[in-house]
Amino acid sequence: MSDYVAGGVPEGVVPRTTDARNTQEVVALVSRRRQPSVAVWGMAMLIASEGTLLSGMIASYYYLRFTTPTWPPRGDPRPEVVIPLILVAVLATTSIPMQLAAFAARTGRLMATRLLLVWALVFQLGYFVYEVHDYARQVHHDPISTDAYSSIYFTLLGADHGHVLIGILLTTWLLWKLRRGLTMYRLNAVQVIAFYWHIVNLLTLVIVGVLLSATF
Amino acid sequence: MATTVPPPASAEPLVERLEQMWQSRPGILGWVMTTDHKRIGLLYFWTTLVLFGAGGAEALIMRTQLIQPNNNVVGPATYDELFTMHGITMIFFFIIPMTTGAFGNYLLPLMIGARDMAFPRMNALSYWVFLGSAIFIYTSLFAGVAPNAGWFDYVPLAGPKYDPGHAIDFYCLGIIFNGISSSLASANFIVTIFKLRAPGMSINRMPLFCYAQVAASFGLLFALPSLTVATTFLFLDRTIGTHFYDAAKGGSTLLWQHLFWFFGHPEVYILIVPAFGIATEIIPAFTQRRVVAFPFVAIAELLVVFIGFGVWAHHMFATGMPTVTVVFFAAATAVVVIPSTIQVFAWTMTMFTGRPRFRTPLLFICGFIFMFVAGGLTGIMFLAVPFDQQVTDTYFVIAHFHYIIFGAAVFPIFGGMYYWFPKVTGKLYFELPGQISFWTIFLGTNLLFFPMHIVGLEGMTRRVYTYPGGLGWGPENLAETIGAYLTALGIVVLFANLVVSFFKGLPAGPDPWHGATLEWTISSPPPEYNYAVIPKVSSAYANWDYPDREEDRRKLASAVMVLDQGHEQPVSSPVDGWWTEIIEMPHDSPWPIALAFSMFLVFGALLFHQWIVAGFLTIAVAYSLLGWHGTEPQEAE
Repeated sequence: MSDYVAGGVPEGVVPRTTDARNTQEVVALVSRRRQPSVAVWGMAMLIASEGTLLSGMIASYYYLRFTTPTWPPRGDPRPEVVIPLILVAVLATTSIPMQLAAFAARTGRLMATRLLLVWALVFQLGYFVYEVHDYARQVHHDPISTDAYSSIYFTLLGADHGHVLIGILLTTWLLWKLRRGLTMYRLNAVQVIAFYWHIVNLLTLVIVGVLLSATF
Repeated sequence: MATTVPPPASAEPLVERLEQMWQSRPGILGWVMTTDHKRIGLLYFWTTLVLFGAGGAEALIMRTQLIQPNNNVVGPATYDELFTMHGITMIFFFIIPMTTGAFGNYLLPLMIGARDMAFPRMNALSYWVFLGSAIFIYTSLFAGVAPNAGWFDYVPLAGPKYDPGHAIDFYCLGIIFNGISSSLASANFIVTIFKLRAPGMSINRMPLFCYAQVAASFGLLFALPSLTVATTFLFLDRTIGTHFYDAAKGGSTLLWQHLFWFFGHPEVYILIVPAFGIATEIIPAFTQRRVVAFPFVAIAELLVVFIGFGVWAHHMFATGMPTVTVVFFAAATAVVVIPSTIQVFAWTMTMFTGRPRFRTPLLFICGFIFMFVAGGLTGIMFLAVPFDQQVTDTYFVIAHFHYIIFGAAVFPIFGGMYYWFPKVTGKLYFELPGQISFWTIFLGTNLLFFPMHIVGLEGMTRRVYTYPGGLGWGPENLAETIGAYLTALGIVVLFANLVVSFFKGLPAGPDPWHGATLEWTISSPPPEYNYAVIPKVSSAYANWDYPDREEDRRKLASAVMVLDQGHEQPVSSPVDGWWTEIIEMPHDSPWPIALAFSMFLVFGALLFHQWIVAGFLTIAVAYSLLGWHGTEPQEAE
């Protein structure tokens, strides 16, 4: 195999998934992996696609804003500033336990991985429940069909909440999956779901910033 | 009968073991649950052919209607549906799935020396979602509510006020559904190309076909979301009363055009770039010469798509945009000429300096170059903004983009069908009927599309179901219709030839053309595991590197580098192509089709505004996803 890997490294250096049948073997295998897994590449593609989707909506927001004389138009409430900023900051902190969970999984500490995921999930769920409640309240006062401003405001915010919901479902699924130990597949899953959350947290910060820009 | 490359006697048990391990289930279940990229490629191929037939029939009905002034074969409403469905079908349901789904799926893993795509089940999912979206959108035609506002679906015509009913809802949901399929496929292609290349196949040794596929995939990945945003906004405007495109409530009709063309123009290059890739494989095989200026052609393929993202507003010169914007987009459009011309020069110089054998595939590529240059020259004319404003919405535009789309995308598809027919079937096609089909199609398309330039300049507008007599457009329209039927005849000859060749053709052998790339090193049709020994590559013309191929055979004889502990596939570093990991690939799975079917039901519920039903049906989607991820590759055996 030596001529199939860079620098003529001796045979056996290329990690082989079929060799990993338990946690110790998975950890040993991953420590020899020098490049991001194919799963990480797949997640990068999903993020590229979803990021472009939300960028398209953000671009539409500013297109509508710059073709409208006053923004938000008269009659629409100005978005609240303080509470959304606090909430999004709380959500952003969940990147820490998610990344720590990825590290813990890489070193085979299964219980630590589970606990860190639960920590992240509690805050993610808290954020989501409050935001959905708040979304319903705002739609009640200023329906989505009021004008173009409310249309783009609620669509952009709703699309972001949708991504948070998918993240919550992924974290929950991961916890359920990890109940029966660590495999290569689950280890990859922890890493890519942590990656997903970093980007969703970043996008949420950006989107909240965009929506709050109407107050300035 | 398949033409096989017999393994050395010592390797027979090994090859048998690989065959058993990679074998699909027998019968129809094997096709429904397949994750084999070759089977998925063939499914794409047959499905897109059926849809090509539908799109072609729509075109023929339109041409029959326009054969003479004041004709009455179809009425205006039906005509609207016909040109809309024709555009949607040919773009979303024929060319893209044919060049990427069928050609890309079948050939890409073979060309890079891989055993399958990076995500085999996702690959199956993209096919089943594609099939679902095709059924979804064609249901509208049979239900008598086909989309009728053009494939570009401009608002306010497509808005709730002027187009009530379900026609445009079918369009919005069908396009979003289809976009999911294309996004999945393009993500899969990108990861496959960057991560599954054979050892030694560094980026600069990758066949040009793969460059074209990666360019088209990046194009799709970044262009489709814009269309998804546009159609989502339109669907919301039509169903829950938002006002994205409603000028009276602060919306903007031009927003639709910006979002649509930000997708729509890159889309044009996404259509033709994989066809460029086909051309750059056929030319070296039939001239027995390496492509001139390889790195420039590779970069040009990527640049065409990249620049394609900066030119969208040239479709909007007649909308009254500010002069600065118009001039910027005209200049940006001029830049596209550079990478396009680099490729044309490279193709023609390769032919001039090689020893061309004008077999049918190469004839189609010559036809393609002729049509592409002709369509490109009229394309440049649109840069002159006053000229563009004069000919906007006339048949001149139709002539231009059909020279590009039929000439530059469909001709290489036909050429590619002939070129890879021996690889896929193990049979040779009949040459004389092949050449007859080429000349019939070539003459037919030119007779069909060239007179459109003239009537366009004379003022004949597009999307109108008839025209009055006495304007002098009759003879040209008659010629166009004759051309249309001639083209259809040529296409019938083409497929008849391929069908007869499938049953009566001579055995092709593994490499009838002395092709340049890796797929010609293995049996025709290829075995399910593709490569027993993972080949080592030292140039972009791997099949011409005889010492490497000798080494493959030696390795097989001594059972070295045969990955046979499961569905194994090496993963390589993205730039150099050295192995970094050996992973196990999933087996046949029922979940991709289950997931696609449950998504189909969700889209059906959304069509009828049954939000709660759609919500419940997402449980089926979630269940399919859980089932999908219930089996891990390591647990599969």
